[in-house]
Amino acid sequence: MKAATWAGVNEIAVEDVPEPTILNDRDVILKIRQSVTCGSDLHLVGGYIPFMRAGDVMGHEFIGEVVEVGREVRDRKVGDRVVVAPFAACGSCWYCRQELYSLCDNGNPDPGITEGLWGQSPGGCFGYSHAMGGYAGSHAEYMRVPYADVGTFVVPEAIPDTRAVFASDAASTGWMGADLAGTKPGDVVAVWGAGGVGQMAARAAMLLGAEQVVVVDRVPERLQQVREHIGAEAVDYTSTDVVAELRERTGGRGPDVCIEAVGMEAHAPGAPGIYD
Amino acid sequence: MELPAIVSRAGGALLSTLQHVRLPGVGQASVTDDPATAARRWRAVTVLRTGEEVGALPPPLERFGDRIEVRTEPAPGDRGTELAARFRGTPSEAEIGELRAALREAKQLLEVGEVLRVEPQPHGVRKPTPQGAALEGMTERAPKEGVL
Repeated sequence: MKAATWAGVNEIAVEDVPEPTILNDRDVILKIRQSVTCGSDLHLVGGYIPFMRAGDVMGHEFIGEVVEVGREVRDRKVGDRVVVAPFAACGSCWYCRQELYSLCDNGNPDPGITEGLWGQSPGGCFGYSHAMGGYAGSHAEYMRVPYADVGTFVVPEAIPDTRAVFASDAASTGWMGADLAGTKPGDVVAVWGAGGVGQMAARAAMLLGAEQVVVVDRVPERLQQVREHIGAEAVDYTSTDVVAELRERTGGRGPDVCIEAVGMEAHAPGAPGIYD
Repeated sequence: MELPAIVSRAGGALLSTLQHVRLPGVGQASVTDDPATAARRWRAVTVLRTGEEVGALPPPLERFGDRIEVRTEPAPGDRGTELAARFRGTPSEAEIGELRAALREAKQLLEVGEVLRVEPQPHGVRKPTPQGAALEGMTERAPKEGVL
């Protein structure tokens, strides 16, 4: 099959690779229908996460059709169209029972790397380096998904792939940002970054009842998307003093909730940029 | 020993030292155990199962026989059972790694019913680079390393 692979820093290849097989009884094999390039793939492409091996298949935001199921899969069947969470979560450990699936104790087969770096290991993430389990990702024709009953979700027939696929990562991550920040009715919310996650965070804040949502970025096309598709206000920081603007809009209080949706490769000019 | 194997072994060794790296004069950090004290510590996982379900000696630990001592006790806050093991006598670093891997496997078997596998899986051309060899050494040792 064809797959998009990491071939080195700032180097992507399309290669012929073997098709995946069932390795555990709770696995499914998916025929990938759509796979999205997440902004966080750029961390891998740029070499900022130094645990990629040349030939690794990338991709963790995707929708597919079940073509094979393992012996212990109970709730999925061949033909199901599913959107999939990026993290491999067992559903049985204490973290999964608290719905903290990205911290699953049993989802990362290489826990020693992140335990060595950070003191504790998160769960495994598809197509996201050997520090996160070394799983082959979704930028491929077929993909293996472990713990399928836990992390795959059948998509209702009326919802097209292009709408459902973002439930895999961008929409759910944006929602989590707004939810973790405690957004409540009447709040003024500022979101830094108008990429996929930032736009979803802004929309989530609106759905949670925010009175006013302002998204900050510098890319005209993104700011336009915020206005047209999200319905939030957009501020271009290359032409507007953001802090002054936000204070003016909020009676001097500043926003009630601030959501950072930019990512680690962004750099401020001047001294803060050197610190970054 | 060929160069790729040397680099791969160095990568694995790097992993084992990552959590103990200290830069003199930079920040503040706890001291680290001397090797003898580290070897005597209990390695432990918390399993979301009752003590009865965990049993006295889960299968992955059986192969160590009487070379190890094992203890279980209830974890606080309904978090299941703490399963701990350590060697009698002075184990080698490799033996401690095997014990860590066995504890993780025991937890997976008890909580999920099987041990998660990741190989073999699809991949493209593995270029023979020093970084790649070092990373392969790390991933080989990753199930045996870490904080346990």
